Amino acid sequence: MKVGTHAQEPLDSIIARKTKEIEQAGFALWGYGGSTCHPQTMVQPFVRSYEQRGQVIYLCMQEMDSKHFAEQIRAAEFSINGIDWEPIHPAINVLGSRYALAIRNLRKEAFVLPLAKTRVAVGNSIGASGDRYIAGRVDKACLETIEEISGTTETEPRVSIGLMAEIVTPYAVYVRNETAK
Amino acid sequence: MVLQSELVARWADGKKLAFIGDGDAISVCVAYLHKREIFNYGPSEIVVFDFDERICGAVKRFADRERLTQLDAQLYNCLDPFPASLIFDSFYTNPPWGASNGGESVKAFVQRGMEATGYQGEGMIVIADDSDLPWPKKVLANVQQFAISSGFFVQKMMSQLHQYHLDDNPDLRSCNLLIKALPGNTVPPDSLPITDPQRLAHFYGRDNPPKVKYVREQKRLDYGKASDDEYSLELFG
Repeated sequence: MKVGTHAQEPLDSIIARKTKEIEQAGFALWGYGGSTCHPQTMVQPFVRSYEQRGQVIYLCMQEMDSKHFAEQIRAAEFSINGIDWEPIHPAINVLGSRYALAIRNLRKEAFVLPLAKTRVAVGNSIGASGDRYIAGRVDKACLETIEEISGTTETEPRVSIGLMAEIVTPYAVYVRNETAK
Repeated sequence: MVLQSELVARWADGKKLAFIGDGDAISVCVAYLHKREIFNYGPSEIVVFDFDERICGAVKRFADRERLTQLDAQLYNCLDPFPASLIFDSFYTNPPWGASNGGESVKAFVQRGMEATGYQGEGMIVIADDSDLPWPKKVLANVQQFAISSGFFVQKMMSQLHQYHLDDNPDLRSCNLLIKALPGNTVPPDSLPITDPQRLAHFYGRDNPPKVKYVREQKRLDYGKASDDEYSLELFG
């Protein structure tokens, strides 16, 4: 996913805040939006299937310039299924987002990810090549790497990953700012 | 939507038509455009069966306001037996597309549609139809096999007709799959609930079985107005 200023907060500030959350709560919630990585229908089954095989799913983030003007409203509750809600740990602050990924081991990295070596692992586009899927407004995906490289050329789309984390249980959740009446 | 509505109106002209779910309000478009004589053909009766009370309520309110006497809605979850007293000529469904379960969720909606016609009518199924991805082809094959095993035949397939601009696949297309009961088709015994865990395990996507029986509407006296919890008033002075 692409990351940058979110809810009027610069990325460096977010990273520092999330690192502190991991120290205090054992994990952080990384807010996001859009529906290509819907918590319940995409991320949870995707991560669970890999974790059952003893593997780890990494959140790979590409830094970008952005102006995200969402209100800095703190989410007070989270839910795994959209039905049962629980209070968010007081040390964790998710601001201006509808969904959040549970992460730990957040760190800066620098490597290039060739999208043609990936494919979509879940959902309506399952099986589609990552380089065709990540395009236009789509900047997030549940991808798995593949051995075979189809149609690789010098112009093959590559994204520079600058930030990484491990996704941990409960993987991805809905968040809201107050109890629904 | 207008093109699809026109097509449905023509296909079901003069017939009693059941919508097995209708999240995109094609039923309302068909009934309204017919009433306004944009089309001079259309179903004689339309009933929407949906598990979302907000959809049923919206259909009923719109029908009442526009005097669409041929349009009605009924709260219904497709995992429950279909109300046996209701018999239609045709059914229409645009179900969850079954990417993660080989079309089992499509088959559930189609089964209820067939039951709505007493296994004697016709159906129009909106279903994914993509030239690149493997899963829509498998789902199409499974649904067609299911239709044939239920005493129906595939009358027509209007390939790659629609595009829904889904966030997770903006280019994914869908088709209209038209099926029709064979003459003298046998009516199966009573409609039964769908409870087979294997059939339900991936109903709404991988590892997402149905959990919600009905989406209930929070009733309000001021329906159609902004909800009080969306704003507050700051007064002069």
